[in-house]
Amino acid sequence: MKKILALANITFKEGLRSRAVYGIGLFSFFILGLNITVAGFFMRDVGKVTVDMNLSALSIAGLLLVLFVGLNLISKDIDRKTIQLVLTKPISRYEYIFGKYVGIEMFVFVALFLLFVISCLTVGGLSVVYEGYFQGFVWSNFIVAAFFVYVKISVLAAIAVFFGVIATSSFVTLIFSFCAYIVGETLDEVVFYLKSSASSSEVVISEGVKKVIAVTSYIAPNFSVFDFKTEAAYGLALQPSRVGNSLAYGLIYILILLILSTFIFQRREFN
Amino acid sequence: MSRSAALGLLALLLIGYVFVQRNAWEDRALTRRSSLPGYVLPSGVSRVLAMGNKGILADFLFLKTMTFFGERFQTGQIPSEADWSYLMHSLDTVTDLDPYFLDPYVFCEGVLVWWAGKIDEANRLLEKGIAKRTWEWRLPFYAGFNSFYFQNDNAQGSAYVIAAAKIPGSPDFLKTLAARLAYYGKKTKTAVLFLQQMLMETNNPQLRKTLGKRLAALEAASSIEEARERYLKDFGHYPEHLNDLVSSDYLEKLPLDPYGGRWEVLTNGRVFSTSKFSEQPSTKNPSGVQPVPQP
Repeated sequence: MKKILALANITFKEGLRSRAVYGIGLFSFFILGLNITVAGFFMRDVGKVTVDMNLSALSIAGLLLVLFVGLNLISKDIDRKTIQLVLTKPISRYEYIFGKYVGIEMFVFVALFLLFVISCLTVGGLSVVYEGYFQGFVWSNFIVAAFFVYVKISVLAAIAVFFGVIATSSFVTLIFSFCAYIVGETLDEVVFYLKSSASSSEVVISEGVKKVIAVTSYIAPNFSVFDFKTEAAYGLALQPSRVGNSLAYGLIYILILLILSTFIFQRREFN
Repeated sequence: MSRSAALGLLALLLIGYVFVQRNAWEDRALTRRSSLPGYVLPSGVSRVLAMGNKGILADFLFLKTMTFFGERFQTGQIPSEADWSYLMHSLDTVTDLDPYFLDPYVFCEGVLVWWAGKIDEANRLLEKGIAKRTWEWRLPFYAGFNSFYFQNDNAQGSAYVIAAAKIPGSPDFLKTLAARLAYYGKKTKTAVLFLQQMLMETNNPQLRKTLGKRLAALEAASSIEEARERYLKDFGHYPEHLNDLVSSDYLEKLPLDPYGGRWEVLTNGRVFSTSKFSEQPSTKNPSGVQPVPQP
C-alpha cells in the first residue's frame, strides 16, 4: 500500500508539471466566462443554461485531462523504456498499475475540484444577478452531478490504463481510449433507439444483432449512467437507489479493468 | 531579405488583412441575411451526436434559432414558409433533446402562435412541456389561451386553464381567469389580458418589441370595442361609422393602428384593422406575409 501511494505521489506531481494543464485550465475559464455572457441571452431558464454549461465544461475538461495528461503518465514509462528501471525496484507489477491509477485519480481530482470551485462561484454569482431565474436550482443536485462527472472521468482513466498496458504506443492508446469514450457516451442512445424501434417493429432486427447489442452493453461502459445533468439543471428529485447503483457501477467497472490490466501487465515483456 | 524590407512587407500585409477581413465579415453578413434556414438534424441523430451533452446542445440550437429569427426581425424581412418550418423542426428537436427547457416553449408561444399563427403545431409542442414540467403553470396557461382565442375551443381552453390554476405557485388571477375567458369569449380584451401576462414573462428584447406592438394594437381595438358597447347601451344600436364614436364623445379620437392599417368592424362585431396586424411585406420576400390569425 505504501509503495502504491509513493508511486501515486510521483505520478501526481508529474501530472502537475505537464504544460497541457495550463491549456485545459484556460479552456475551462473560457467556457465559464462564456457562460456569464451567454446566460443573459436566454429568456427564462438562465439557471438551467448555467448548470448545463458548467457541468459540460467540467466533463470536457476531465476528458482532455485524461486524454492529454493522464494518458501520457501511463505510457511515458513504456515509450521511453524507463519502465525497465522502475521494475528493477522492489515494486510489483500490480502495485505499479494501481499506483499509476491512483496518481492519475489524485491529479484529475485536484484539477476538477479547482474547476468545480470556480464553477460554483459562477453559478452562485449568476444566481444573484439573475435572481428569480434560478427557482428550480438545488445545490445538492449540482454537487452530485459534478461528482458523477468525476466518477465518469475515473472510469475513462481506468480505460486509458487498460489500453495503455495493451498497446505498444501512446498514440494507439489515445485512439482506443477516445473511441471507448465515444462508445460510452453514445451507447445508451443507440441501444434504446434500437430497442424502441425493434419493439414498434419499424425496423426488423435479427437475433444476431440483438445478441451483439446485449454483449456490447455489458462490455462497453455506459456513461449515461453517470449523467445527472437534467436533475441538476431543474432540481428534480434524485433517487437514492439510482445514485447508489451508478456509483457501484462505476467502482466495479474500474476495479475489473484495473485487475485485468495487472494480469496483462504481468505477462507483458519489455525489450 | 533585409529587416526593414520584412517590416515593410509585414505592414503592407497588415493593411491588406484589415481590408480583406472587413470584406469577409460584410460578405458573411450578406450571406446570412439571404441564407435559407438551416437543416435541423432530427433529434434521433443529434441526441447521439451530443455525446452526453444534450442539455448544452439544446441551448446552442435554441440560441441559433433565436439568432436566425432575430436577424430576420432586425433586417425587416418577413419569415417565409420555409423559415417557419425550420422554426418548428428546430423547436421540436430542442424540446426532444431537453423537454424540460422552458425557453423554447415561451418562444414558441410568442413567435409560432402570435407571428406565424401555427396554433396546432404550437399546442403540440406545448403538450410536450406540459407532460414534463408538471410544476409549471405557464405552459397549460399558454395552451389554454390558444384553444380559447384562436381555436374557439372553450371546453379545451378551460380545461387547460383550470389545470394551470391547480399548480402550486400559480398566480391568483388564474383561478378566475377561466371564468373570465369564458365570459369574454373571443373578445379582444381576452387577448389583451393574455399579452400583458406574456410581456411580464419575457425579457427578450425582440420578442418584447413584437408582442408590445401587437398589445398596443389590440388595446386600441379593445378601446374601440368598449366604446361601441357603451354606444349600444345608450342608443340601442351600434354606430354606423367608427367616426361617430368620436363625434358623440365616446372616444377622444380613433386610436392609431401601430401597423398602419384602417379600423373596420368584422361581421362578428369585432374591431379589426385592414393591416391584419401584420408587418408590411418586404419586396425581397413578397410571399411571406403572415397576417395575425383572423380573430
